[in-house]
Amino acid sequence: MLRRDFLRNLVITTGGLVVAPSLLSACGTSATSSGELVIGTPTNPTKLPANGEAIADGLAEEKGTLEILNWADYTNPEVIADFEKLFGVTIKTSIYDTEESAIAKLRNGTFKPDLIIGLTDTALARLSAAKLLQPINKSYIPHFTNLIGGLQSPYYDLDSQYTVAHVIYANGIAYRTDRIDSSVFTSGNGYDAMWDSAYKGKLAVLDSYRDTISLAMFQAGKNDVNTSDADVLSAAQENLIRLRNATNPKVDILSYQELPAGNRDIAFTWSGDILTALGYLPEGTPAESLGFWYPEQTITANDFLCIPKDSKAPVLAHKFIDYLLDTDVALKNQTYVGYQPALSTITVDTLLSSGAIPETLKDSLVTPEKYDSGQRLVSLSPDADALWLDAWAAFTAG
Amino acid sequence: MTRRRFRVLPTIIWGYVIWSLVPVIIAVAYSFNDGRSRTVWQGFSLRWWIGDPNASVLHDASMRNAIFNSLILAFTTVVIVIPIGISLAVGAHRLRGRSAKAVQGLTSVPLITPEIVVGAALLLTFTRLFTGIPLGFPAQLLGNVTFSISAVVVIVRARLVSIGSGFEEAARDLGATRFQALRYVLMPMLWPSVMASLVVVFATVIDDFVITSFLSSGVDSETVPLRIYSSVKGGATPALNALATLLVLTSFTVLICGLFGLSLWRKRHGDNGGLRAALADVTQADA
Amino acid sequence: MKQSPKIWPALAAPGATWLLALFGIPFYAVACVAFGTIDPIFRDAVPQWNPLAWDFGQAREVLASVLSGPLQGVFLRTIVYVLAAMITSFAIGFPVAYFLARHAGKRKLLLLTLVIVPFWVNYLMRMLAWVNLLSPSGLFSRFMGVFGIHYNWLDGSPITVVLGLVYGYVPFLILPMYATLERLDWRLVEAARDLGATSRQAFRLVTIPMAQAGMAAAAILIALPMFGDYYTNDLLSRSPRTEMLGNQIDFYVNNSQQPQRGAVLVLMLSALLLVALSWYLRSTSRYAKERTK
Repeated sequence: MLRRDFLRNLVITTGGLVVAPSLLSACGTSATSSGELVIGTPTNPTKLPANGEAIADGLAEEKGTLEILNWADYTNPEVIADFEKLFGVTIKTSIYDTEESAIAKLRNGTFKPDLIIGLTDTALARLSAAKLLQPINKSYIPHFTNLIGGLQSPYYDLDSQYTVAHVIYANGIAYRTDRIDSSVFTSGNGYDAMWDSAYKGKLAVLDSYRDTISLAMFQAGKNDVNTSDADVLSAAQENLIRLRNATNPKVDILSYQELPAGNRDIAFTWSGDILTALGYLPEGTPAESLGFWYPEQTITANDFLCIPKDSKAPVLAHKFIDYLLDTDVALKNQTYVGYQPALSTITVDTLLSSGAIPETLKDSLVTPEKYDSGQRLVSLSPDADALWLDAWAAFTAG
Repeated sequence: MTRRRFRVLPTIIWGYVIWSLVPVIIAVAYSFNDGRSRTVWQGFSLRWWIGDPNASVLHDASMRNAIFNSLILAFTTVVIVIPIGISLAVGAHRLRGRSAKAVQGLTSVPLITPEIVVGAALLLTFTRLFTGIPLGFPAQLLGNVTFSISAVVVIVRARLVSIGSGFEEAARDLGATRFQALRYVLMPMLWPSVMASLVVVFATVIDDFVITSFLSSGVDSETVPLRIYSSVKGGATPALNALATLLVLTSFTVLICGLFGLSLWRKRHGDNGGLRAALADVTQADA
Repeated sequence: MKQSPKIWPALAAPGATWLLALFGIPFYAVACVAFGTIDPIFRDAVPQWNPLAWDFGQAREVLASVLSGPLQGVFLRTIVYVLAAMITSFAIGFPVAYFLARHAGKRKLLLLTLVIVPFWVNYLMRMLAWVNLLSPSGLFSRFMGVFGIHYNWLDGSPITVVLGLVYGYVPFLILPMYATLERLDWRLVEAARDLGATSRQAFRLVTIPMAQAGMAAAAILIALPMFGDYYTNDLLSRSPRTEMLGNQIDFYVNNSQQPQRGAVLVLMLSALLLVALSWYLRSTSRYAKERTK
C-alpha cells in the first residue's frame, strides 16, 4: 500500500501535473537551454539530446577489467567481489571527492572509466553537453523495472536514456546524541545549530557547493536552491562566512567516519552518511550515539549510474548496473553504504524491519512524502553557476 | 663561555634528531598493530603486512599496484634522466659566454621552482597542447624526468669542478681527440656521480607526490605517495603504515647499495674517503 | 690551434632541448591559458596561443581578488605561514648545522647520518606519522592530555600547519646550511678571537657575514616550495581557516572547471619565483666565488 502511494506520488511529480504548490513553484524554472545546456526541472522535464547509438543487443560481455569511477566507500567491497567472481573479471575503482572535480577530470582525460557511480542531476547537463555519456541499452538491464516508478523516467532524463537511478537521500544534520541534545534542533530554527560557536572545531559542512550554499539559504528561510538571483547568493555567501567565523568548520565529505570516531559532534551531510556511519562506530560506542535531524525545508535527491561514451567495457558496465538493481544485491550494498537504494522493492518499511536501521535513526530515511516535499537541485545555467562558484570560492578561501 | 655553548648545542641537535625520527619510528611500529587503529596499540601482529587476506599489503591488489607503479616510474626515470643529465652537465660545463649563462639559468630554475608550478604547467600542457601524450604513466614519466634533470646536472657539475680539466688536457697532449679524452678519461672519472645521481633521482622520484599526482589518471597510475595521500583522509588501516614503511625501506636499500658502491669505487681508485666521502657525493645534490 | 669545439654544444643539446620543451614551453602554455578566453558553456579555459591576442581580463580579476578580494586572505596567510615556518626552521636548523660543522668531533658521521635520514623518508610518511600522533586518540594528544591540555590539533589550527611545514622542510635547510658552514674559513674566526673578540662577537661579526650568502640561499631553498605547498595543509587541517595559495591552485587546476584562475595564480607564484631566482643566483654565484678562492 505504501509502495503504491510512493509510485503514484512520484509519477505525478515527474509528470509535472499536480505538484505541492507552495514548494515546487518556488524551485521550478522552465527548461532552459543556455547555449547548449539542456536542463530539465521537475516542472519541465526534458529529453536529453541524442549522442550516438547504444550498443547492440545480445553482445557477449568483455573479459578483463571493469573500471569504475565512484565516491569513496560507496559500494560494498563484497558486492564488488561477488560480481568479479560471477563474471570472472577484475574491477578497479578510481575515486572522486566532488562532482566538480569528477567532471573536470572526465573532460580533460584524467579519468577514463567504464562506468560512473554517484553523479547527480547537477552534473548531468554538462556531461550531456560534453557528449561524455552513451545511451543505455535496457535489454541488458532486466532489473530496470525494480526501480521506483517515478525514477524510471526522471525529469532530468526522460526515458532514462543515459542514466539509471541509484540511491535516494536528503540533506540534513547528523550529530552525536551523547554530546548534543535533539531539542537543539526542535526549539526554533534547527539550522541555527550549524552557526553555534559552542561547536567550534567539531563541526563540518559538505565539500559540495550546491548543498552547502543551500544550507545557508535554508537557514535564512529561502527555498529556491536553483536561484540565479545575485542578491540571494551574496546574502548566502555572507551567511556562510558568518558560519565559518563562528564554528571553524571542516569542509569535506568524511563526516561518515569522523562523526562516529568522535572527532566531530555535528555535521551537515547527506542522510545516507549517518547510516554509513553505523559501520564506523568504534567498539564500545553504541549505535544510539548517532542522531540525524531531518529538516522540514531541505533538499531531497537521487544519484545515478551512467556509462561514458568511450567505455572500453560497455556490456560489463550494463551488467553491473543490472546487478546493482537486483533486490538482494541492493540490500547487501545498503548494509555497507547506508544510502537507500532507489528500488520500489526496498521501501522504508523493508529497511526498518530488516533491523539494519536503529530506531533512533529512522528519521533519516526518506519516505515518499518527504521525497516529494523536498527541493530538487537541478543544473544551473553557466552564468548562474558562476555566481554560485564565486560565493563558494569566497567561503573556502578563508 | 664556550663551554656553555657546548652544552646547549648537543641538546639541540640530539633533540632535533629525536623529534625528527621518533614520529616515523612510531609510524613504522604501528604498522605491526594487531587492530585496525593507527593510534591505539592493540598488540603485535603481521596481519597488515602479510596476514590479512583482503587488506594486507601483500594481498590488497591496489596496494601492490601502487608499489609496482612507484618502482617502475622510478626506474624508468633514472634510466632516461641520467644520460641526458650527464650529457647536459658535461656539455654545459665547457660552454662559454652567453649560451653558458642561458643553459645555467635553464638548469637552475627547476631546482627552485615549486613543484606545484611545474605540475600545473605540465598538466595544462599535456591536456591542451601536447595532447598526444596521455595522462598517467607517460605524463608522469616525462614530468619526473624534467624535474630531475637539474639534480643530475648539479651532482655531475660538482664532480667536474673538482676533477678539473687537467686530465683531459693531458690526454689531448698525448694525442687523443676531444671525444676520446671524454670517453676514456673523463667518463670513467664520473662514475661516482652516476651512482650518486642514480641514488638521488631514484629516491626523489619514488617519493614524488605533486607532479605525479597532477599528472595521474586515476587508480591505474597511482603510486605509493598518492595512495598514502588519498587514504590518510579516509579510514585507513595500519596497512597504510606498512605500505609507507615499504617505500622507505626501498629508498634506504637503494641508498645503502649506492653508498657501498661508491665506497668500493673510491677504494679501488685509491681514494680513502670511505663512507664519509660517499655520503658527501650523494648529498652534494642538496648543497 | 683554436678549433670551435662543437662537441660541447652537441652534448648539451638533448638536455637543453628537453628542458625547453617540457619546462619552458609549459610556462608559456600556462600564460596562454591564463590570458585566453572562457568557453561560454563549461566556463572552461580556452588557451590563446597568439600573444598578440592575449586577454588580460581574467588576470586582472584575480589580481583584484588577491589585492582586495577573497584571495587577499589566502595570500597574506600564506606569506605569514611561510615566514613563520622559515624563521622557525632557521631557529632549529642553524644550530644543528653549526654544531655538525664545528663541534661534532667523533660523533660527526653518526650525527650526519641521523640528520640525513629524514631526506630518505617519504615526505608524506612523515606527515602521516604526525597525523597519527596528533589525532585525538594519538600518542601526542594523549601525552598533552596528561598535562591537562585538551586541544584538537587537527581541527584547522594554524600552529599545526606551520609546525607541519617546519617538520617537513627543516631537513632541506640543514644540509645546505651545513655545507656552507663546513666550508667556511674558521681561521678567520680564530684570528678574530686572537685579536680579542669574545666568541659572541666573533660569531656575529665574522661567522655570520661569511655564512650570509649560504643562509640566503638556504632560506630561498625552503621558502619557495613552501609557497606552493598544499598537501601539508590538506593532511593536517581541512579547514578554510588555514587555506594556502597552493590549495587554491590545486583546487582550480585539478578540481574545478575554471583552470584559468589556477593558471593566473600559477603565474603570480612564478613571478615571485623570478624575483627570488635572481636573488638566489646572485647569492650562489657570490658563494661559489668565495668557495673557489
